[in-house]
Amino acid sequence: MDSPILQVKNLTKIYGQNVIFENISLDVNRGETIVIIGPSGTGKSTLLRCINLLTPANSGQIFLNGQEITAPESNEDKVRQQVGMVFQNFLLFNHLTALDNVMVGLSKVKKMPKARAREKALYELNRVGLSDRADHYPGQLSGGQQQRVGIARALAMDPSVMLFDEPTSALDPELIGEVLGVMETLAREHMTMLVVTHEMGFAREVANRIVFMEKGSIVEQGKPDDLFYRPQHERTREFLWKISELYGKKEEKA
Amino acid sequence: MKRLYFWFALVLVMSLLLAACGGAAGGSQLDAIKKAGVIKVGTSADYPPFEYIDESGNKAGFDIELMEEIAKRLGVTVEWVDMPFDSLIAGVQEGKIDISISAFNYTEERDQVVDFSDAYYDGEDAFAVADGFAGSIQAPEDVAAYKVGVQNGTTQDEWLTGLVDEGLLAEANLFRYDRADQAALDLKNGRIDVMMADSVPMKALAAQLGGLKIAYEGVVSSGPMNIVIPEGATELAQAINEVIVQLESEGFIEALALKHFGQ
Amino acid sequence: MFGNFFSYILQGVSITIAVTLVALPAGLVLGLGLALLNTYGGPWLKRLSAGYSLLMRGVPPVVLLFILYFILSGNVVNLTPFWAGSISLGIISSAYQMEILRGALLSISGGQMTAARAIGMSRIQAIRYIILPQALRIAIPPWSNEASIVLKDSSLVYALGVPEILRRAQQLSATNQQPLLAFGAAALIYFVLVFLVNRGLDALAEKTKLPTQAA
Repeated sequence: MDSPILQVKNLTKIYGQNVIFENISLDVNRGETIVIIGPSGTGKSTLLRCINLLTPANSGQIFLNGQEITAPESNEDKVRQQVGMVFQNFLLFNHLTALDNVMVGLSKVKKMPKARAREKALYELNRVGLSDRADHYPGQLSGGQQQRVGIARALAMDPSVMLFDEPTSALDPELIGEVLGVMETLAREHMTMLVVTHEMGFAREVANRIVFMEKGSIVEQGKPDDLFYRPQHERTREFLWKISELYGKKEEKA
Repeated sequence: MKRLYFWFALVLVMSLLLAACGGAAGGSQLDAIKKAGVIKVGTSADYPPFEYIDESGNKAGFDIELMEEIAKRLGVTVEWVDMPFDSLIAGVQEGKIDISISAFNYTEERDQVVDFSDAYYDGEDAFAVADGFAGSIQAPEDVAAYKVGVQNGTTQDEWLTGLVDEGLLAEANLFRYDRADQAALDLKNGRIDVMMADSVPMKALAAQLGGLKIAYEGVVSSGPMNIVIPEGATELAQAINEVIVQLESEGFIEALALKHFGQ
Repeated sequence: MFGNFFSYILQGVSITIAVTLVALPAGLVLGLGLALLNTYGGPWLKRLSAGYSLLMRGVPPVVLLFILYFILSGNVVNLTPFWAGSISLGIISSAYQMEILRGALLSISGGQMTAARAIGMSRIQAIRYIILPQALRIAIPPWSNEASIVLKDSSLVYALGVPEILRRAQQLSATNQQPLLAFGAAALIYFVLVFLVNRGLDALAEKTKLPTQAA
């Protein structure tokens, strides 16, 4: 049993006067899919951005593959090659085709020879089901397609961990399914994933572990069934009940 | 992208390099000129019949031909540098040109920053008016009663500014122009009442435009015309003066004046 | 006779174009550098570049021409009228181009930089491969405006005696007393040049436009 691929230890993030989150600790094992749920503004997205060093944390440590990436001498750019991120607003590079979007990291960052980069990019596009849109520009793609390209772009770098920051929140309802489908496939292929989302169905079906965050700290975490049917904390129960109402899901009692 | 950046950088670097290859002259200027075989002469080729551009696009005029002959006698060729009139003195001062010939008159002010050759021609002033002019100009100071136009930086400009300083001519009634022909056009269309300039060019302008006449002619601000030479270039001045004397005694200058001025 | 006149003025075209071809690219290289420093640099670089822009946009171009040619030149570097004029215009233009490019850079959403960093690009790589290509596209229309201005401003070098279109028109007007003809011809030539430049840049903008309809 090897050590967790990602370890967050006592991470704190303060912005001005506000404490975004405090003393967060979390272990992620290889191949796990962890879904983080909780009310908006509780620092879930900020936590993800601290993990890939886009935002510096105020205190605490993060270990990736055993290395402390929060150490002062750590090379942030290199670290980010190992942590893939998928954004709520897709953030595709507008001036590049889908294929080039996926390829640019390979050829410019990893300095891969063009032919090999192209091959790999096509492979990833195929993986998300978009090889026939390789020469389309983001402006020519639907939201769901853009997000899938975003996933392919992150996958192409062969990251150790994939972070998903509310990946379907900006999508029209009928397009959510294609993206969740890709994510589910990845989970089944044992990609290590950390997902912030409101999609409870996905959480219940695909997550190995669900983490409930509220007011800047982790309230409770556990297997989906445990959390949904046997929550330990009142606040967890309250939140889940509210969410179920919102999404019109029926409570299934085991 | 990369290639584009490269070419832009190249242009910038090249322009700076070429700029540096200007070279400055030292020692006696006359020697330097004779060594180079070329004398850089500044002029403002918009002042017929002294210096102007003819129909074929070549420089022509009294000053032009005179200078070419002087240079020939000195054993060098002329490299003409055309400039707006009021930049010429600065041009000689800063060494952009070796000398300048452009119907210049001696003034004390100019003498402070440059030197002058001996006179090569004696000029007069003229006041021109439109044909329908109702006033009278019996003496030069009479122009103070009217709207007067003049070319910027000329001795006529200096003289008229003097009138303003003395309170005789209203500042608002003195109109300065970059070129003489601009003033002449304004004179014709009535924007100004009188124009003051060297008499020979003034007559030429009046003749060509039509509808203008000379109201007064005489020596007011004009007088002998000189070549402008850098301050302290005594050898150069001497050489030029010698040639001027020569040309005068040969009758060359008189013939040239006849050709261009008809007098 | 008219034909001769026109051809005399026309000979100034190559010089006008040459002045523009020095000033505009020089302004672009300098302006782009300053825009990048101002957008991505630290507080001191921001202040310096902003100050440069303020200064150069506040000086009438002719004044800079004279300063460079009559004052600096000869004492510091020796510049011919052509180079003094062209470089001065390039310096002035660089301030305006800096503002244009700065606006274009700022209009690229911060998310583009974030996404670029997220796949491991350094800041410089992100600027070079992601931000700049998009910013330059956006900058084409206002830049086309600046190109026209520089081309027309090239006439200012007449003050240093460079025999470009305007100076030639002045000389002809002095000789034949037909200002309308001389300056009308000059205006026509400038108009044609500016028109061609604008068309060319419009075509460039069209060519580099990003498609938004499904192919």
